[in-house]
Amino acid sequence: MSLGVLGWRWAALRNGLQDATAYRIEFLFEFLGSAFVPAAVQWIVWYALFQLGGATTVAGMTYVDMIQYTLMSVLFTQIRGGDQDFELQEMIRTGGLSNYLLRPVGVVEFVFIRGLAPKLFIAGFCLVIGFAISLFFPFSALRMLGAMLLALMGNIIHYQLGAALSTVAFYWEEAFAMLMVKNLIVSLLSGEKIPLNLIPEAYSWIWKSTPFYLYVFAPTQFALGRSSITQFAGELLLSLVWVVACWGLIRLTWGLSIKRYLSLGG
Amino acid sequence: MWSTFRRYARIYGVQIKNNFVREAVYRTNFLTSLAVDIVWMVIELSFFSILYANTPVLMGWTKPQVYFFLGIFFASDALFTTFFQRNFWQFSDLVNKGELDILLTKPVHPVFLALSRWINLTNILNFIVGMVIAVRFAPAAGFLGGWHWLTVAAWLAFGVISALLIRFAFSIWVFWTERSWAISRLYYQFFHFASLPDTLFPKMIRYLLLTLVPVAFIGSVPARAILHGLEPSEYALLAGVLTFFFVANGLLWHAGLRRYQSVSS
Repeated sequence: MSLGVLGWRWAALRNGLQDATAYRIEFLFEFLGSAFVPAAVQWIVWYALFQLGGATTVAGMTYVDMIQYTLMSVLFTQIRGGDQDFELQEMIRTGGLSNYLLRPVGVVEFVFIRGLAPKLFIAGFCLVIGFAISLFFPFSALRMLGAMLLALMGNIIHYQLGAALSTVAFYWEEAFAMLMVKNLIVSLLSGEKIPLNLIPEAYSWIWKSTPFYLYVFAPTQFALGRSSITQFAGELLLSLVWVVACWGLIRLTWGLSIKRYLSLGG
Repeated sequence: MWSTFRRYARIYGVQIKNNFVREAVYRTNFLTSLAVDIVWMVIELSFFSILYANTPVLMGWTKPQVYFFLGIFFASDALFTTFFQRNFWQFSDLVNKGELDILLTKPVHPVFLALSRWINLTNILNFIVGMVIAVRFAPAAGFLGGWHWLTVAAWLAFGVISALLIRFAFSIWVFWTERSWAISRLYYQFFHFASLPDTLFPKMIRYLLLTLVPVAFIGSVPARAILHGLEPSEYALLAGVLTFFFVANGLLWHAGLRRYQSVSS
């Protein structure tokens, strides 16, 4: 039975989920590890600052504010992007891209959809946790839903930037380092390590001028009720602008770079 | 004894030469891996810069002291990465693909061969960067300098040996599991805790990081020892924990070998 335009996309989504969960223990390890460690590192710093160090507020935030931020940001950190861009650069480097060029699917989109599947699964799981939290704490479930939507937009932008960067593999031996550098910068400027309002005002232009804060910081602030509906709408609109701009960037970089592809080794 | 040492030194010399030739061929790899590590260091330094923009002292650690700690941590990690890291990435293949067969037939200890085949010489530059950071912040951190720099060398060696023993303890389970990827990832998750001074941690977690998963030995304990010295009980703890890991790794290695089924085990 044909599903029309959704046909191969639906199949790719299903295949991606099956692939990710084939090794269930590893999937669980990965999920728990990536959730637990950033939260634990943050908590340790807040504990040292407030409980052991005796501080009452830091950048206008109390210990409770920090803990709330940490717990909520962990949910959105899980959404913020997979390793599909690494998969793309590996295909270019090893010549595995050839298989996909012969098929009637867009390779960038195909790889994204396959990698999106486990993220959607995790997003659903995080949403349930968020809803459960909203029953006991003064968080709005609707805000949680909006924040998750923004985080998913962040996931798309993150992949798009990675897909554009992966074309470096057409010119150099590989783009692994470029993607690693991007991920390291994202880990700080997305708000995954610390709330970005801790960065002094004089340097705030750094994180405000990248889309990375839309991945974790902006959704967390909205879910916690620390940003207004208007601000959220602006951020959602901005994320759409980034998606369109990055789509153009992918068209440009892949259009130019694919001409250099030599099948076995870019 | 002396002849054995000379034989091992000669083999290690050959391994270094082979690795140097390989790295000279892949020059782009040299630049890119350097870039990744430099950015990682900048991110770690930025993280603490942001914290110190909001507080003057973090649990008794001033900003120069934390930067000094980071310098020592980066240098210690760079040494481990240079000499051992890549061998551990290949460790799983040794067992799963039966490549250990070849090593077992050689007239030297297979663990020596397994851990000395891959040397990432370019990472020495990261060691230099780490040391530059440590030297830059040493006076402001209260480091006495002079002959005390000799203790830095000893504590860096301690950090590398600790990382080697801990990483080995995480890898050895490949004899019992089909894939060791998840356990290896777990090591790197714990490794994140090594990038914070151990005195920042609540008592219980700190105790774990000094005993069960002693990643604090990689940078934090050496930095504290260099700056302030350690209590006698702490020296005893370090010796006890490292001895335990050494013995346990040896026992697990032998038990693993008994279980090893050669090719496609």
